[in-house]
Amino acid sequence: MFKYIVKRLLISIVILLGVSIIIYTLVRLMPTDFLTQKYAAQLQTNPGFVEQFEKFKEMYGLADNSFGGIMSGYFQWLGNMLKGDMGTSFIYQKPVSSIIGENMWISFAIAAIATVLQFLIAIPLGITSATHQYSVRDYATTVLTMIGISLPTYFFAAIVIKFFAMDLGWFPNTGLVSPSKDFPATFAGTMAKIGDMAHHLVLPIFVSVLLSIGGLMRYTRTNTLEVLNADYIRTARAKGLSERKVIYKHAFRNTLIPLATLLAGILPSLFGGMLITEQVFGINGIGGLAYKALQQGDIPFIMGYNMFLAVLTVIGTLLSDIMYSIVDPRVKLGK
Amino acid sequence: MAKKASNYLTLRESRKIISYNLKQMKYYEGLKRRKRSAEEYTTVMKDENNLLEIEDLKTCFFTDSGTVMSVNGVSFNVPKNKVVGVVGESGCGKSVTSLSVMQLVQAPQGQVVGGQIRFNTDALGYDEEGRKICYDIVQMPTRQMYSIRGKDITMIFQEPMTSLNPVFTIGSQLDEVSFLLDPKISKEAAKEKSIEMLRKVGISMPEHTYTCYPHELSGGMRQRVMIAMALAGNPKLIIADEPTTALDVTIQAQILELLRELQKSQGCSIMLITHDLGVIAEMADEVVIMYAGRIIERGTAREIFHNPLHPYTVGLQKSKPLITSKTGEPLYSIPGQVPNPINLPNSCYFKNRCEKCIAKCGGDYPPEIRVSDTHAVSCWLYQQGEDAE
Repeated sequence: MFKYIVKRLLISIVILLGVSIIIYTLVRLMPTDFLTQKYAAQLQTNPGFVEQFEKFKEMYGLADNSFGGIMSGYFQWLGNMLKGDMGTSFIYQKPVSSIIGENMWISFAIAAIATVLQFLIAIPLGITSATHQYSVRDYATTVLTMIGISLPTYFFAAIVIKFFAMDLGWFPNTGLVSPSKDFPATFAGTMAKIGDMAHHLVLPIFVSVLLSIGGLMRYTRTNTLEVLNADYIRTARAKGLSERKVIYKHAFRNTLIPLATLLAGILPSLFGGMLITEQVFGINGIGGLAYKALQQGDIPFIMGYNMFLAVLTVIGTLLSDIMYSIVDPRVKLGK
Repeated sequence: MAKKASNYLTLRESRKIISYNLKQMKYYEGLKRRKRSAEEYTTVMKDENNLLEIEDLKTCFFTDSGTVMSVNGVSFNVPKNKVVGVVGESGCGKSVTSLSVMQLVQAPQGQVVGGQIRFNTDALGYDEEGRKICYDIVQMPTRQMYSIRGKDITMIFQEPMTSLNPVFTIGSQLDEVSFLLDPKISKEAAKEKSIEMLRKVGISMPEHTYTCYPHELSGGMRQRVMIAMALAGNPKLIIADEPTTALDVTIQAQILELLRELQKSQGCSIMLITHDLGVIAEMADEVVIMYAGRIIERGTAREIFHNPLHPYTVGLQKSKPLITSKTGEPLYSIPGQVPNPINLPNSCYFKNRCEKCIAKCGGDYPPEIRVSDTHAVSCWLYQQGEDAE
């Protein structure tokens, strides 16, 4: 087991190198760059600015867009990265690592709550609709979750904002804290601030949970149906076990096996932020920042953010493989 | 219209079938769910020496292409301490009969729609007229069924490869039975009992096997585990649904011998379902031959083997490969195919394949004709006299 994990980690270094080369090259090959966008107006009005602009480009390391230039830029980035320096963001003029560190947690909080809720709702729903196949309950959950799968986030979020925030006024429609309120630095003040934040987060979490339940619920339903038709379930019934025990012990353990593979995707989605949801609700999470960085060609931030996701994905895959061997005794790692 | 293939359905017909099925399934599921008093699911045994009496059992499946009568009026008895073999080809309803006894027919498509399954139990005593009160499994609520399923009646399945849960150890699956029988039993006692059971079914390293997962055992070992599981509750009746079909011949013989031995030592009855006449010859005291959901012949093993009456039974015996048969000669097979189980006509189902078909076969379904006290056959050939109906 230990040997297997070490081997996997060594392989993942190679994977990460490949990922970083691809991302870096792609970002550098974008038709426009940060400086061209920033100084577009000055370049048009002031022909003398060109000389200075070239100098800026040199400084930012964006001057040479030939193959050699990109490669040398990459190795410079890689060298700094190995030293633990993720570079300085063009837009914010701050170290990338501190920007990620500052903005990650709010995204993480939203995603963590949403993921937990999603699992807590989707798995029992999937199991009951499988055990009551073709019943009213089954059809109702299937139709509702299908609607959830097919609705685009921005559209559903807009409806939710219109209905709950504008018309009913139950929840604030944007941001993370109420700008008009003042929270003193006491314990009571902090608690009030957390309460206010929670109030703001209800709608984004609601939207993201509702839209992601569908896939997981259908997945659980299909798996449970398959397991319920298995011979060993009949054996369990023939043994005289109660229906509850048959489903929640014998069937559920087997449904868990394919669900373990889903773990691979959870880790990056927990920390990666939700790009669209954060945009619609005006939350300054990491997803929103990444979107802005991509628009403006902020190479250090894009690189830092994507490598962060790549590392999480690699770890997530490894974790899900380990989980697989825990839930399914037939799987042995390291062979 | 005459040219239309019988299995082709128009859209309207199939919609009609589906709505009919839904209505039927709802009706029978509703029947199952209703509250019943003890009188409704208890009745009296016809013969106290029988452990199980199946009378006119009807089980059908509501499929999208029509209602399939898988078991169509089957009646036979399982006497105490005897092995009853149920023989027939695939799809003749022998497994469904056994599942009906266990109340394990795949619901809601499959439903027991009629008949009685009387299970002899000592728990209920006698009525005023001195007849023994017993359970009627067909009418029994599921909750009540838990008191006999897995305890008085256990089952061994066809596929040892897939019949054990792959994610639990052999030990925990065996312990479960002990916990069911006695919820207060300690973990150590349950383990001891499970290991004892494993030893009883001839597993050489029971302590090691106890900690194994099913995939670490061979097919024969797994079937032994299944048998251990079935025996753990000291059952009165073991239903063995093709227990040796998935095993190779040497293991088959071992498993059958084991079953026979255990049946003798524990004093239980076995309902042995198989399509292999060799297995029946080795094991059974009484034999029931089924064809397309009905019993066509029944009798003691001796009668069936030495004096088969129904043309189908004769055909079955002829199509059995023997070590003495001449090489190069093709094996006998019964010509034709089993009729489509949907909308069967009310005449002998075998008549189209029968070599001895007579004019009367086109008429009503033949009644059960008694040849001796124990031997009965459903075939017009054996009716004595013209009007002896």
